[in-house]
Amino acid sequence: MIAQDLKTLEERSIYIIREAKLKFKNIAALWSMGKDSTTMLALTRKAFLGKIPFPVIHIDNSIDFPETYAFREYLAKKWNFKVIVGHSDIKPDSVGSACCGQNKPETLKKIMKEYGFDALIVSIRRDEHAIRSKERYFSPRDKKFRWNYRNQPAELWDDYSSKLDTKGHVRVHPLLDWNELDIWRYVKQERIPINPLYFSRNGFRYRSLGCTHCTVALKSNAQKVDDIIKELEITKQEERSGRSMDKEREYVMQRLRALGYL
Amino acid sequence: MLMLTGAATKVRIKEAEEYSKRLHKDFEPAFILDSFAEERLQEMTIDTTRAEIKYKDLAFAFIDVPGHEELIKNMISGASYGEVALLLVSVKKDEGIKDQTKRHLFISRMLGIGKLVVAVNKMDTIDYDKKTFDETSGELEKFITKIGFDRSEVSFVPISAYKGDNLMKKSPKMKWYGGKPLIEVLYEKAKGEEKKQTGSLRIITQGVIPGNAGEHVVGRIVSGNVKTGEKVSVLPQGMTVKVIGIMVKGKRVKSGKVGENVALQLDRNLGYAMRGSVMADPEHKPKVTDQVRLRIFVTGRFGKRTLAKFNGTEIACKSVNVIRNIDVTTGESSASKKAKILGAVEADVKLAKKVPVENYDVTRELGRFVLYSDGKFAGIGTVS
Repeated sequence: MIAQDLKTLEERSIYIIREAKLKFKNIAALWSMGKDSTTMLALTRKAFLGKIPFPVIHIDNSIDFPETYAFREYLAKKWNFKVIVGHSDIKPDSVGSACCGQNKPETLKKIMKEYGFDALIVSIRRDEHAIRSKERYFSPRDKKFRWNYRNQPAELWDDYSSKLDTKGHVRVHPLLDWNELDIWRYVKQERIPINPLYFSRNGFRYRSLGCTHCTVALKSNAQKVDDIIKELEITKQEERSGRSMDKEREYVMQRLRALGYL
Repeated sequence: MLMLTGAATKVRIKEAEEYSKRLHKDFEPAFILDSFAEERLQEMTIDTTRAEIKYKDLAFAFIDVPGHEELIKNMISGASYGEVALLLVSVKKDEGIKDQTKRHLFISRMLGIGKLVVAVNKMDTIDYDKKTFDETSGELEKFITKIGFDRSEVSFVPISAYKGDNLMKKSPKMKWYGGKPLIEVLYEKAKGEEKKQTGSLRIITQGVIPGNAGEHVVGRIVSGNVKTGEKVSVLPQGMTVKVIGIMVKGKRVKSGKVGENVALQLDRNLGYAMRGSVMADPEHKPKVTDQVRLRIFVTGRFGKRTLAKFNGTEIACKSVNVIRNIDVTTGESSASKKAKILGAVEADVKLAKKVPVENYDVTRELGRFVLYSDGKFAGIGTVS
C-alpha cells in the first residue's frame, strides 16, 4: 500500500523522464495531442529546465480532428520542440482494433527504425484499462514490438530495466501511477495548454481523444478545467467509454498490447 | 473493498462478471485485478498491479502481488514500492499459514516495511470462530516479532472479503473482535507513514544535463536538504564542490528538500561520469567501500558473473561469500554456506569499485543492491 498525492506523482514522473533520457542513447516520446501526453510534455519541461530534449512523434492517420492538428502546430511552436509526423493509412470502413491496432504500430515501427530510437516515452496510465494496469515503468519490447507480459523484468526500488536482449526498444511509462482526475488537477495547477476538444461545445465534450472515426463525444457542459474536475469527481462513467476499441473484450486488448499496440 | 469503495468501476465489475460466466464460474471478484486471460484461466495472480482507493482525506494505492513461489520476482517488484503491508491469510480448512505466507512477511520486513496489517480471511467458512482466529494470529505473531517487526505496529483483523465482514464497518457476526474494520486500520497506518524529513544530505545523481547557464547535475534528494552556497562532497570521487544554483521543476530556488528532483549548478564542471554518484554533507559522509555485508533474499542461482545494480549503475561483483543462512520460514540462522533459491543468506560481497554505502535502515537508497547473475535476476540485498 502506498499513499499518492500530486506532488509525489509529479516527482516520480520527473525522475522517470530524466532516467529515460540519461539512460538511453536516443529517445523519443509519443504525442497524440491528448491531455495525458501533453501533461507528459509539461513534466518533461520541468525535468529539463524548460526544454523538451527529444523529438516527439505523432502517428497521423489523416483523420484526426482539425482542432487536434491546430493544437499540434500551436504547442510545438510555443514550447519549441521537434515533431516527427508518421503517416499511417487507414482503410475507409475499418474501426476499432482492426484499424488502430494494425496501422499505427506499423507506422511507428518504420519511424523507430529510421531514426534508430532505443526508447519511447508513452503516456499510458494504469487506471485507463485493466491490461495497461499490469505494465512496468520501463517495459522492454522486442524487434517486432512484442510485449513479453508473461515474463516481465523485475522492477524494484528505482532500478528500471534497460537491458535489451534483441534489437527492440524500451517503452517508458512516466504517467503509469496517475489517474484521470490527477491529470486534470495538474493541468489546472500548472495551467497546461489543452486541446479544446476536451471542453464542452453544444452540450458535448470529448473525454478521451482518438481519431474522428472511433471517438464519440459524451454529454457534458464542462467548459473549463474546473468544470471537468467537478464533473469527474461525481461521474460513474468510464473515461474511455467514447472509444470504440475499448468496447471489445479485455483479451482483445491484451492480445493487441502483446503485439505492440500502443 | 475495491467494489465497496467504488474503486473498481461498474464496467470493470461487469467485465469480471461476464468473464466468470464464460468460464462457468460464480462471480470471481479477483478478476477485477487479474486481467490477463492466463490469470483467469489458471486462477492465480501472475503479475503485480495497482488499484487506487480513496478514503476520507487519503488516496492510497493497493499493490496486488502474486503469491506463488515461481512468481517471486513479480511479488518483490510490487512490494518494493509499498509503505504498509497488508497480508491476507486464509483460515479455510487446508489453506492457512504456508511457507510462502512467512516468506512474504520476511521479504516485506527486509524491504523495510515496518507497518503490517494481517487480514485473517474467509472467517465465514469457519463460522466466525474466535479460537481459530486467535490460533492463526498467535502463530504469526511469534514469527513476526522474531523477524524484527515491532509488535505495536502490527494489527490483526478477522474478515470475510467475500461476504464483506469487517471491511468497511464492524461485522455483527464477530462481536468478539474489539478492533476497527479493515479500512480504518489501513487508513490509520497509511496516515502515520510520513516521509523522513531529517537526516544528513544525500543526493543520488542521475547524470548531467545542459542548461543556459552551463551544465547542471540532476538527481534526487533522498535525505536532508541542500541550500545555495553550501559545500557538498561528491562520492565516491571524493572532491568537495560548492552549490551555486538550485533548480526544482524548472524554477530557481534557494533550497531543495527531501523527495525533490533537483538540478544543481556547481562551482566547477564535473563531466559526464556523474551517474550513480552521491552528493553528501561533508561533515556526515557515508562510508566509501568496495566490501559490503549484505542480507540477500535469493531468487536465482549465483553463477560465474554476478552484477550488483546500485543507483543506476552496474558494478561487477568479484566475489560473493555466504557467511550464514537464514530460514525465511522460522527466522533462524544456520551455518550452511549454500545459497538456496527462495531462501535468505548473509554474505560478504566484494565489488569491483568503491561506492558510498550506508545501512539500509539509515538511508535506504544507499543500502540496497539488485543482484543479477549470468544475466538473470538473482536476488536483492540490503546492507545490514
